[in-house]
Amino acid sequence: MMAARPMALAVLFAAAALAAGDLSAQDGDDLGEVTYVRWCAGCHGVDGTGNGPGAEYMLPRPRDFTLALYQIRTTANGALPTDDDILAIIDRGMPGTTMPGWENLLSDDEKEALVEYLKSFSRFFTPDEVPQPLDFGGATRVNADVLAEGEAQYQALECWRCHGNEGRGDGESSPTLTDDVLDFPIRAADLTENWLFNGGGEVEDIHRRMLTGLDGTPMPTQADLITAGIIDEDQLWALAHYVRSLSPDDPPGITEVVRGVLFEDAPLPSSVNDEAWLDVERAYLPLVGQIIVSPRWFDPRVDGVWVQAAHDGESVAVRVSWSDPNNSPDPEWADWKSSIISLMQPKEGDPQDEGPTPDQLMVQFPMQMPEGMEMPFFLRGDDSRSVYLWQWQSDRDGALEGEARGFGTEAFQSEGENLTVDASHADGEWQVMFTRRLVTDDEADLDFVTGEAIPMALFAWDGDNGESGTRGAVSSWYFLFLEEATPTTVYVYPALAMLLTFLLGILVVRSAQKREREGGEVVSETAI
Amino acid sequence: MGKYLKHPLGQAVLVFVVAYFLLDFGIEYIPPLLGWASAPIPNSVLLQYLITVGVGILLWVSDNDARWAEFKAPMHRVMVDPGQKTLRNSLMVLVPVLVAFATFNSVRPSVSAPTTLRAIHPSAPGQFVFQGATLQLAGLENPLRSQGSMEEHYEEGKRVYYENCVGCHGDGLDGQGHYAHGFNPAPLSFQDDNTIATLVEAVVFWRIAKGGPGLPNEGAPWNSAMPAWEDFLTQDEIWSVIIFLYEQTGNEPRTFEEEAGGGEAE
Repeated sequence: MMAARPMALAVLFAAAALAAGDLSAQDGDDLGEVTYVRWCAGCHGVDGTGNGPGAEYMLPRPRDFTLALYQIRTTANGALPTDDDILAIIDRGMPGTTMPGWENLLSDDEKEALVEYLKSFSRFFTPDEVPQPLDFGGATRVNADVLAEGEAQYQALECWRCHGNEGRGDGESSPTLTDDVLDFPIRAADLTENWLFNGGGEVEDIHRRMLTGLDGTPMPTQADLITAGIIDEDQLWALAHYVRSLSPDDPPGITEVVRGVLFEDAPLPSSVNDEAWLDVERAYLPLVGQIIVSPRWFDPRVDGVWVQAAHDGESVAVRVSWSDPNNSPDPEWADWKSSIISLMQPKEGDPQDEGPTPDQLMVQFPMQMPEGMEMPFFLRGDDSRSVYLWQWQSDRDGALEGEARGFGTEAFQSEGENLTVDASHADGEWQVMFTRRLVTDDEADLDFVTGEAIPMALFAWDGDNGESGTRGAVSSWYFLFLEEATPTTVYVYPALAMLLTFLLGILVVRSAQKREREGGEVVSETAI
Repeated sequence: MGKYLKHPLGQAVLVFVVAYFLLDFGIEYIPPLLGWASAPIPNSVLLQYLITVGVGILLWVSDNDARWAEFKAPMHRVMVDPGQKTLRNSLMVLVPVLVAFATFNSVRPSVSAPTTLRAIHPSAPGQFVFQGATLQLAGLENPLRSQGSMEEHYEEGKRVYYENCVGCHGDGLDGQGHYAHGFNPAPLSFQDDNTIATLVEAVVFWRIAKGGPGLPNEGAPWNSAMPAWEDFLTQDEIWSVIIFLYEQTGNEPRTFEEEAGGGEAE
């Protein structure tokens, strides 16, 4: 009887679990496998080949674990990664790709079991051979001489062939780069955005990858150059410091508001390369793929734009800068474009050959300043709230003003009479400057107000990356705030407050002293 | 030092300063040391708390005449004592300057986005139109829970999720997808206990089907990037992805009985 009861309870629990359709792990299941199937297989596939349901919406594609080919390691070129290498990628993810970090989502036990399970996909991992990390030494100090040496090495080792003169991933070889396994197009890293470096953006990370190489990609190891005596270790560190210096010290914070600086005495910048822009603060606005309206786009080239704005009370000038390796359409990039389209588009309907497609930029404002919180839908407005558009494209002079009430309803004025544009493409960067009078006679234009936050959104297309129409990069609403001259009341009120406080102070002290004198006599009298 | 702390004025100042640091920094930084999440309190709330503390201190020092007299004495001395003239005059300058500075900070123009208030869970309508058919929300149950294999529904939901949702809501269902940083308001985390865990499945269905464009007016500003998924997915695909969301996060949907029961439960 005593023994039968736990038995009966166990049966009862098992029945309850079945009845509830419990999909969670059962005792005896391998923790690594359970964790993998639950959290990783969506992209990497149940069989580990990188073909999960999410895979075709991602570029670069998820890793195929059966190949045991790992980009980010501490081991020699071509060698297997250490367990800690795999763990580090699970924890931190791969910035700039679709692989997230799992540090706070999985327990230590789960991650440890996962490492073993990932290794089990490939016969290359054996218990006898434990991969050994390289010795990387410590980072050298950085100064102007080191950076100059690094730049010299950047030239001498021809890093610019892929990464470009200023590091924006626009080198002459960049349109032809493919990965070793699938032969899919692969971007040369934009070295001015170190927060998107797959294996980390600090100088030690950069140096480590130069020694190990990025296995499976065109990025080679530089270790053999050291072995051959072509460069020494300090020179490699100098190169790493130089690459690090191409990005800002800190990753750009996302600012909600772009400040339109008031030019009270100086003239507004007259061209896109005007030096006056150097003194205007810039705001970074991230852009992501347009995945709301069909056909969607999962491989946007433009991942963020820098926006500057200035006004002089008469006109407003807005300059937008972003990395784009080439001025589309460009025959050199034709193969790149067709392979991106064939890889990313079929899922979203039949690919259409639209012929050459230009690079484009669109800036969007609400047609009416919103009252309260009701803004137009951020993608080209909606039925009840229209948006006002500035549109520029690389194969046409001038820019157009337009209006839209939803994607696909854009109507552009025949000539953007009130809008002028100046654009330049150099070293993998577009810079486009729009200028418009704050207030125009045209009913179909937005009148810009100062001293108020004007909603603003941006859209960008890289034509040679297969982008046009709904296939591009979008932002949600940000704000443009055109400064007003500081009103004199800003100085008057503090002065008044100061004076009043001072007078009040005198009053209080005087009366206290007076009472003290009178009261003091009283006290002394009673004392007597 | 001890001398000052025995004095009511010293004690009052000490209590006030300690209260300030606890409120302004303690609330933000102490709970994380114990492993709890925390965030700074807004300045307006800080001001209210400090006023409360100040009133409390004044009540305490004025609670008996002797302490009140002792509390006032140093301030009184500064105002009348001929020996304190230097200190008195410095304060007469310093205090107005501080007032001027505070005034300047509050009146100078600032560049800021308008404050937006937003209902995270806008109240659901009684009925809504899904792909042309009117659905009554009350009593709308997930039909897949009573038919077919849950495992298959989960797998189908996983496919739908990875083809459509993962970019924003993330592999971890924590709202940290690779496109999440591009959108404001940020995509919802399904891991939190105050999102899908507090909703009946019918409401989740309505939010997925109608997306940002279908938000009622209190959901404005309309910058939620959530698409109206009725344009992309079938009814069964939406129900299966809902099963995936709950299974994957270990959350349980609320039931209409709980919703209706609420306070009446025995």
